[in-house]
Amino acid sequence: MELTTDDVRNLAKTIGLEIPDADLNTVALRLSGLLALMDEVEKALGDEMDKVDPIPPVYPREDF
Amino acid sequence: MNDTGLAYLSVAEQAALIKKREISPVDLVEIYLGRIEKWDRVLHSWITVCADAARRQARQTESEIAAGRYLGPLHGIPFGAKDQIATGDVPTTMASVIQPDFGDGMTATAVQKLQDAGAILLGKNNLHEFGKGSSVNFHYGEPKNPWNIAYEPSHSSTGSGISVAAGLVSVALGEDTGGSIRGPAWANGVVGVRPTFGRVSRHGGIMYAWTQDTIGPLTRTVADNALVLQAIAGHDPKDPLSSTRPVPEYGRHLTPDLKGMKLGLVREMSVGQTLHPEVERMLGAALAVLRALGATVEEVSLPRAKFAVPLQFLTSDPDVAAVFLRKWLKKHWNKFDVGTRTRIAAAALVPAIVYARAMRARALVRNEILGAFRSYDALLALMNFVPPLRLQESVEKIESREDVASRMFKSRRMCTYPFSIANVPALSVPSGFTADGVPMSIQIAARPFDETTMYRVAHAYEQATGWHLRHPDLEKTVGPALQTADAQLTGA
Repeated sequence: MELTTDDVRNLAKTIGLEIPDADLNTVALRLSGLLALMDEVEKALGDEMDKVDPIPPVYPREDF
Repeated sequence: MNDTGLAYLSVAEQAALIKKREISPVDLVEIYLGRIEKWDRVLHSWITVCADAARRQARQTESEIAAGRYLGPLHGIPFGAKDQIATGDVPTTMASVIQPDFGDGMTATAVQKLQDAGAILLGKNNLHEFGKGSSVNFHYGEPKNPWNIAYEPSHSSTGSGISVAAGLVSVALGEDTGGSIRGPAWANGVVGVRPTFGRVSRHGGIMYAWTQDTIGPLTRTVADNALVLQAIAGHDPKDPLSSTRPVPEYGRHLTPDLKGMKLGLVREMSVGQTLHPEVERMLGAALAVLRALGATVEEVSLPRAKFAVPLQFLTSDPDVAAVFLRKWLKKHWNKFDVGTRTRIAAAALVPAIVYARAMRARALVRNEILGAFRSYDALLALMNFVPPLRLQESVEKIESREDVASRMFKSRRMCTYPFSIANVPALSVPSGFTADGVPMSIQIAARPFDETTMYRVAHAYEQATGWHLRHPDLEKTVGPALQTADAQLTGA
């Protein structure tokens, strides 16, 4: 996933955020990098991710 | 004993002298205020020093103790708090210039508990802006490593680590979402603990990664750390996610040996990576000490640990952005540091479906880590694959996709985020020095709510090695920079 600065500008518009041009490329790099890494996670764990509940932040289980 | 000697004593040692009235809390506060005035012009570990209030409280404490009303080992002990933790009428800046006080008059429960135990708030410690480790610029001065100011003091609870290491305070509170306590503990050569999530109330911490944020202590010894955690732990109705489990007496379980203990060295967070030669030698020596103390050490593989870093960025950062965007980022974009604002903006744009999938993946990573605790009493890892970097190398620059990948897999985060994702207790304990005199540490993690075992392993190791007895000689490490600063001021 390689987002362009235009992609990022338009995405930001959906949440009412105006990112100055000088910072658009950095945000695009950060977001593109994270989404690419999520692709790796999906490749490795995707099927199992369908079978678990999202993590609770506390420890309700007796064994811990 | 001279003032420097008193400044570097452990809390336990200072408390014994205060109890016997061989030193006064007034003296201790004055020693630290004097050292802050002298050294912090270079170290930049404090944002606010509440000298007058600390002096008033010290005098009151002195009177209480003289009248036979000694409260216990924290009575009269000066402490600092990361300037992300609310402290009543002492402002909480978040190291930001957006507004002068984010504390809204609150006092964090952890701070209140220390004050109830008689500890004296000395001031607020410097941090990376908003506790995000991506700052490029520092509005309150760039924090410096007291062991060698050319090297990084690590990210986020930076001033808390520096001030304890440099003998500018007895103990400090920090905040750890992904490693913000353990990192500064590592780079500055002190003990830092991320408690189990829910062990310490989050109330009064200005932090919005609600599934991962923790408040914990940074101290010069493991026993001190156990003492402070004991004081701040426990259920708090103001934090609905704080645990109702009883708080054990951690100090009672500190033993000089580790006979019968089984420790797992996480391969992906240590020997499975390319290690800097000095880190490799340090780790080998540390493992030999642990084995000599009676522990069995085996390698254990947690292949999913490598996903912890992106998963935290894809979940906890959006949680933070969910608050920051409306409250501050839209209005004050240019007042944010460029590293902070671009990191939060990227998090704000993570699609909901990706966030939801990443939360599921976090469950899998956590389950793998918890599974290891069925076979091992504690897990061992490095704090980083390299020693602390030179300052200019440690600044997070994002100019290419390679920079993003490097931040994910080659940084300290690879060692600390897995235990954060699992929300287990984890501790950084000093384990040696580089040839340039910069500290290194190992990391010890334990089962949820088993801080007792984590402290036991760390204490036995600390006592066997004696790294905690070394302190930076500020005259040598900071003195020259101080002279330069003074010369510039006087125009010499």
